[in-house]
Amino acid sequence: MSQVYKIQHQLQLINAIKDNDSLALKEFYMANYPKIEQLILKNSGSKAHAKDIYQEAFIAVWNNLRTGRFAPENDSALQGYLYQISKNKWLDVLRSKRFKSTQSLTEERSLFLSQDEETHEDPEETKRLNLAMEAFKNLGEPCKSLLKTFYFEQKSLRDIASEMAIEESSVRNKKYRCMEKLRSIVLASN
Amino acid sequence: MKNSNNISQELLETVERHLNKTMSKQEALDFELRLAEDPQFRTHVADIKTLLLGIGNQSLKERLDEFHEALPESQMESSNSKTKSTMLWGKFAAAILIFAAIGGFWWFSTTQNERLYAEYFTPDPGLPTTMSSSTNFEFYDAMVDYKQGNYKIAIEKWEALSIENDTLDYFLGVAYLADKNQKRAIPFLEKSTQNTAFPLLNDAYYYLGLAYLKEGNIALAKKNLSLSATEDSQLLLSELEKNP
Repeated sequence: MSQVYKIQHQLQLINAIKDNDSLALKEFYMANYPKIEQLILKNSGSKAHAKDIYQEAFIAVWNNLRTGRFAPENDSALQGYLYQISKNKWLDVLRSKRFKSTQSLTEERSLFLSQDEETHEDPEETKRLNLAMEAFKNLGEPCKSLLKTFYFEQKSLRDIASEMAIEESSVRNKKYRCMEKLRSIVLASN
Repeated sequence: MKNSNNISQELLETVERHLNKTMSKQEALDFELRLAEDPQFRTHVADIKTLLLGIGNQSLKERLDEFHEALPESQMESSNSKTKSTMLWGKFAAAILIFAAIGGFWWFSTTQNERLYAEYFTPDPGLPTTMSSSTNFEFYDAMVDYKQGNYKIAIEKWEALSIENDTLDYFLGVAYLADKNQKRAIPFLEKSTQNTAFPLLNDAYYYLGLAYLKEGNIALAKKNLSLSATEDSQLLLSELEKNP
């Protein structure tokens, strides 16, 4: 179809990803995975590495898009950004001691490793975030669903209340208590 | 998260407003000021933000795992080691040679009409899959498969919908055509052209013309192409007129 249509679609896609639209996320996820899998398979990685790295990069892109740290003009810029982050993350893995000790350094890989990049995250912050993710993963119901619906799916308290057939004020209260529960799990695992 | 003091509900909601950018100017100023001056407040806010980020990231991760399951099989084959990939390249090169040979044969043996068809057929790029209202979810979910080129899966999902809709007929028709099944494509495309107010009518006639061309029915191909106002239809039609 027409160019106008294509541009309109791109803007919609970016906005839809920001809004957590499930289908837009799925389309974007599926369309970009093959290229990144290829990159990682070609550079000493496995399918499992590819999945982990891609998902980490995808989550980083999603966060940066939502916080406005990255504002792409079109979806090829967004795709390029996702590719670059995946690549940098994979370079970090290849440079890590654990990986080096199990793999011999081929010429090809040294060449790949010699590329310039910078993605240094604060390891303390990453650790805290991983603890929070792990705690949320194991939070248990109904808290997990409630927090996910409110914070991730961004449903309003009113909508959640009407779905659960309870007062809005008690949803608000439950949400707070669930956050306390989540926090106590994180504190206990610290 | 070192501080075990409870976080108040008020503070939680203040941080939510800060993240959603729904604070008033005054509240935002006060908030920033307190962040700068009060280290305990700063720690609490950072803790809440980490928790919220954790909820978002983990929720997304669980969804990505579902998407990953839906990746087509072809992307799931492994070529891990160097030798294996070299072998694969060898096979690939052999396959290309065979294809080239077949291609050459195909090129000479195929008719003019099939060549025109191959030149003009590209599947409709599909609709933006961003309007996930719950009623249309299945339709747009199949659209994701369609756009990935997984026509068989898209067709299966769309046919399971069993609703009467010209857009659905149109995409079923194009998907069948892309799946090289013009016989099944034609009835769907015919149906989608019944409604003269159908927004994709020009495209529907174009693909219907192509489907008939593929079938070898030149008269009906010309008729339908002439009903479509798209540039490609007119170009193809003039080519068909040149070589009757």
